[in-house]
Amino acid sequence: MNHIIEVEDLRKSYGSVVAVADISFYVEAGGLFAFLGPNGAGKTTTINVICTFLKPDAGRVSVNGYLLGRDDNAIRKSIGVVFQDNLLDNLLTVEENLRCRGALYGLSGKALTEAVKRAMAEVEITDLAKRPYGKLSGGQRRRCDIARALVNTPEILFLDEPTTGLDPQTRKLVWEIIRKLQREAGVTVFLTTHYMEEAADADYVIVIDNGKIAAKGRPTDLRERYAKDKLSLVYSNPEAVLAGLSALNIPHTKLAGRIIIPIKNTLDALPLIERFRPNISGFEVMLGTMDDAFIGITGKELRQ
Amino acid sequence: MRAFLRRNLLVFFKDRAAVFFSLLSSLIILGLYILFLGNVIISDFEDKIPNAHEIMTNWIMAGLLAASTATTTLGGLGVMIGDKAKKIDRDLYVSPISRRKLALGYVLNAMIIGYILTFITFVFVEIYIVLSGGSLISLTKLLEVMALILLATVSNTAMVFFITSFFSSENAFATVSTVIGTLIGFLTGIYIPIGQLPESIQWIVRLFPPSYAAVLLRQALMADPMAAGMADLPAEYVEGFKEALGIVLKFGETEASKIFSIAVLLVSAAVFFLLAVLVLSRKKKE
Repeated sequence: MNHIIEVEDLRKSYGSVVAVADISFYVEAGGLFAFLGPNGAGKTTTINVICTFLKPDAGRVSVNGYLLGRDDNAIRKSIGVVFQDNLLDNLLTVEENLRCRGALYGLSGKALTEAVKRAMAEVEITDLAKRPYGKLSGGQRRRCDIARALVNTPEILFLDEPTTGLDPQTRKLVWEIIRKLQREAGVTVFLTTHYMEEAADADYVIVIDNGKIAAKGRPTDLRERYAKDKLSLVYSNPEAVLAGLSALNIPHTKLAGRIIIPIKNTLDALPLIERFRPNISGFEVMLGTMDDAFIGITGKELRQ
Repeated sequence: MRAFLRRNLLVFFKDRAAVFFSLLSSLIILGLYILFLGNVIISDFEDKIPNAHEIMTNWIMAGLLAASTATTTLGGLGVMIGDKAKKIDRDLYVSPISRRKLALGYVLNAMIIGYILTFITFVFVEIYIVLSGGSLISLTKLLEVMALILLATVSNTAMVFFITSFFSSENAFATVSTVIGTLIGFLTGIYIPIGQLPESIQWIVRLFPPSYAAVLLRQALMADPMAAGMADLPAEYVEGFKEALGIVLKFGETEASKIFSIAVLLVSAAVFFLLAVLVLSRKKKE
């Protein structure tokens, strides 16, 4: 597959604070690529550099075949960016906003009208065209932001925490729109998130922490590698179970009414269940989640 | 760039409050004059000049228009500050349009807004002059005044653009606007005629470029009424009158000519634009 974004040894500091420390990665064309990390990990800085908004201190970045720092305008023409904040003009209507921003790409007349119409249709906001942007709900505004990013029919769509601050239902809707764009319109999507469930739904995930890449891979691979499956036993005779586990030297944690035992894979649960069957009243085998993988990778929970 | 300019104009004029408050600072001066200042200033000349009221109304209105080109332009530049404060500039910077064109879009926006709003003020001024018994401006004078407003707008936009290039928060900008709005009235000798100011302040007025816009506008607006009412007065008195009210500015015995005043405005415009560009490009590119 063709690498539509390539980043080599990217470094960016603010004064003495290193935001991004020599990271390298690539993004395959047509995929949905997620940058996962806690707040302050360097996600936004990275995206701002790739979008030509920030100048890197060192490193080589190419986007859609154009070299950052040399062909910035060519890069700008081939990308669309959705920032964390809502950045359209509150007093202007959705359509006016999209026309104004579309014109920055040299679109005019019929081409501009068509582009605006298409962008609005893609995120299903055509019926909001005449309403002032500032009067819309958070979810509607977010969709307008995405429409603005689509107005120049970009090859790559960057989204910086597109679903942060939205209610669960709107989050789902926005996510579905992003997925649809990637699958049907063939847009490469590069997004940052601190939601596990979103990262789990991406094609490829890079976990970034303290400005460094902590892990990368497909979500299933990450889960397999870093998240442990668990067996939970609901005990009827706790002493017997605990004594048995200690005798076998099996690590375990005791919670209220149950004992959690980490296992390599789900099948490993069977002999344990057999063994303690007389002393338990039930059991549950739990697959590792992206949350577990994240904790496994960074050694900490997501700082929200 | 034209599309960006159109966007800036749209953002400004859709904000009714911004338009209103930009006009307000000029209209306050008008109100102050009608209510208080007028009578105080006129009483000095009433016995000598039959149409003192008309002459003095034109005097204050010329100053008002000069100040207006600065204060309304500030309102126009508010769009730029607003974009910085709301971080909308990021969205503009990821578009394939150069920063120079964006800056030009903001400056032209401020000029157009300044011109339109000052012209609106001018219409109010003429209405007041006619209502208070004066005569409507002649066509040739109207064209001259319109050209002078344009010149003053260009010059003041440059100065104000330079000052605002240091600020990026809306609060700081609001404070600066208030300070400029207040100071400009004194520094161009609008509230108090230059002749009544202490010598040191008179020098500030002479060195302050917008004063020359006020001088040119006074010459244009007052020529006809002065010709009608002061023709019989001794030349010496007329000279003193002109000097005291800032209809001419004098350096020692030399009078600043019209060409000189125009040159001051043009040169200061160029200098301030260059300084603003310098400040903006010196700001560390992140």
